[in-house]
Amino acid sequence: MVEYRIDRRSGVATYLQIVQQTKQALRMGLLEPGDRLPTAREVVEATAINPNTVLKAYRELEREGLVEARRGLGTFVRATLGTAAPAGSPLRGELDAWARRARAEGMDREDVAALFTAVLAQHFEGDDEK
Amino acid sequence: MSTTTALGAELLGKKYGGRRGGWALRACDFALPAGRICALVGPNGAGKSTLLALAAGLLRPTEGTLTAPAREDLAYVAQAKPLHPRLTVADTLRMGRELNPGRWDDAAALRVVEGGGFSSDTLVHHLSGGQRTRVALALALGKRAELLLLDEPMADLDPLARHQLMGLLMADAAERGTTVVMSSHILTELEGACDHLMLLAGGRVRLDGAVDDLLAAHALLRGPVADLAPHRVVDARTTGRQLTALVRREGPVEGPWETSEPSLEELLLAHLRNPEGAPA
Amino acid sequence: MSTLALKGPAWVTVRQYRRTLWLAGALAVLALAVVAGLRIWAAQHPVAPMKDGVWAASPDNDGYLTLRWFLEYVGVAAAVLPLAVAALVAGPMVAREYESGTYQLSLTQSMSPADWLRSKLTVATGVAVLAALAVAGIFWFGRLGVRAGWDYHWSHPGPYAAAGITVFAYALAAVAVGALVGQLVRRTLLAMSAAGLVTGLLVLAFNAYRWSILPTERLTGPLGSSLDLPVEHMYMDVGLLTSSGARFDQTICWDRANRTPGTDTQEGLWGKVEAQCQAEHDVTTQFIDYHPSSHYWPTQLIETGIVLALAALAAFAAFRLLRARHS
Repeated sequence: MVEYRIDRRSGVATYLQIVQQTKQALRMGLLEPGDRLPTAREVVEATAINPNTVLKAYRELEREGLVEARRGLGTFVRATLGTAAPAGSPLRGELDAWARRARAEGMDREDVAALFTAVLAQHFEGDDEK
Repeated sequence: MSTTTALGAELLGKKYGGRRGGWALRACDFALPAGRICALVGPNGAGKSTLLALAAGLLRPTEGTLTAPAREDLAYVAQAKPLHPRLTVADTLRMGRELNPGRWDDAAALRVVEGGGFSSDTLVHHLSGGQRTRVALALALGKRAELLLLDEPMADLDPLARHQLMGLLMADAAERGTTVVMSSHILTELEGACDHLMLLAGGRVRLDGAVDDLLAAHALLRGPVADLAPHRVVDARTTGRQLTALVRREGPVEGPWETSEPSLEELLLAHLRNPEGAPA
Repeated sequence: MSTLALKGPAWVTVRQYRRTLWLAGALAVLALAVVAGLRIWAAQHPVAPMKDGVWAASPDNDGYLTLRWFLEYVGVAAAVLPLAVAALVAGPMVAREYESGTYQLSLTQSMSPADWLRSKLTVATGVAVLAALAVAGIFWFGRLGVRAGWDYHWSHPGPYAAAGITVFAYALAAVAVGALVGQLVRRTLLAMSAAGLVTGLLVLAFNAYRWSILPTERLTGPLGSSLDLPVEHMYMDVGLLTSSGARFDQTICWDRANRTPGTDTQEGLWGKVEAQCQAEHDVTTQFIDYHPSSHYWPTQLIETGIVLALAALAAFAAFRLLRARHS
């Protein structure tokens, strides 16, 4: 089961944080189809956020076809997301080689992270918001 | 979400007699939908406690009407967290059961008291401020009310206890659809937990509505000084030729400004700085 | 107390004041034990009739004397009990709820404000009546060990309060006055003083005027004869009447006798002048006004009735005030 961590200062809407963290868990394989998401009560008791925020996030996930609500039983995972590339895959190999080169050229961790974020923003702009 | 009203007021006013006489509340109109978690905010002396005491039936309105659940269907925690000092914690909870026959939930009350770091045979007299708050909230939650009226519930709590108790409150709301009205003059205590906001200032309702609606209805503008019409300016500041303004939008904002949605805190501060501007 | 199967608000009230209740119970048991002990001590010496028919203990019977002394204080306790009850109800039971803000807790539970006050007053009344019974019981228990004497006359405030039924009416009135004053004053100590004062004034007023309720009876006789009032009656007034039946102010003739030269030295002259003066004023009769002992119970009943009516009035006002403040 996932455990949500809400960062009030992040500037990201609380319901989006739940959506993103659920998707992250799906990608990492922490949640699989058939798994039950925590109930709204469980989430709000742990995070002290508004119950409607959790329901809003779950509705969003449902709309995207990732989860389904079964009346009286809870909210269950329906689909999985393209999992993060496992070790040994071509994509990961390329990124691995790129990171090595970046380091050799004298970039430090933060430079790399900033560059990566900029490229991500360029290619995936708005995806999470929709 | 249900559309029934959990707490409503029409032209509600309360005037205190005696030497400190004067209107504590005046011409208040609102209808809080059931199931909302409402933050009741405003500066000191804005009338928050008066409104909660009126809703709890402890005071009688001087004018206007107030619609609230019956006494047995609401729970009230006063600002000073009054408890009988000579009773033990266990006796205090037993009192909750004796005074609310047929509806008292021991388990719900015990969940609140647990983690307070005191045993149930401690005299209330010996509890710290935060521990008293815990016992007072336990009485309120044990009553299984439809409407919780909490006056500054988080003021005496350390951050950990605040998080835990807010979590319990939210869990109760999630499970039972309880309507909660919590007052505070520190918004950050309530941000994230509340989906409804009521701002009181000078005894009047300045802002009232669902948080999402309120945020969407306002816009934060940055740019050159220019006429902001038709938008209603709540708060505006100019630095040289640069204008920063928070407006209540009338239609889409078009103009040379950089526009963003304000944060709840920005919205509140703007309204508090300009108590006479743009009443809700 | 905890073993009593109390429920609801009554449980809360008893639980809150259990220390006071234990204290009151202990005090009653202690007083009873003291009286029992004194009676045993007093019984060591026989109480014998003296030659004039009055029963008296021998002067060295310290047990007997101590018992009489103690019973005086039991009588005082009976007279003071309503003050204490009123002060405790007004202060700790009602005003303190307002002073400390706990009324905000009590009045937002599932019972009405009237239920809240009613439960407090019910418990207070029960305890006050028990206390009155205890005082009366202790008084009677001690009294049985003491022969009649002038200081146990039924008309004396102590015995009158301790041996009659008015004490119960005062207990009820004290509870009602406490409920009203406690709500009006809302400060513990101030409410205690005010309620004690009001109840004290009531007690004092009746001590001063209760024997004016029923008309006295009059015993008359010719001037110069000796009028003897049986000891069980209560003497109220004595004076002289003229032949027409009008009251004559005795001081007129005393003044004249005093002003006549020689009356302070010459044996019998003062009396002669006085008698001559009275004859000149046509004084023919002397009288004694008194309450026969048969007036005891009617007076008790009338007083009880008046005090109960006042109690009902105060209780009514207390509940009206509560309703006006909290819907």
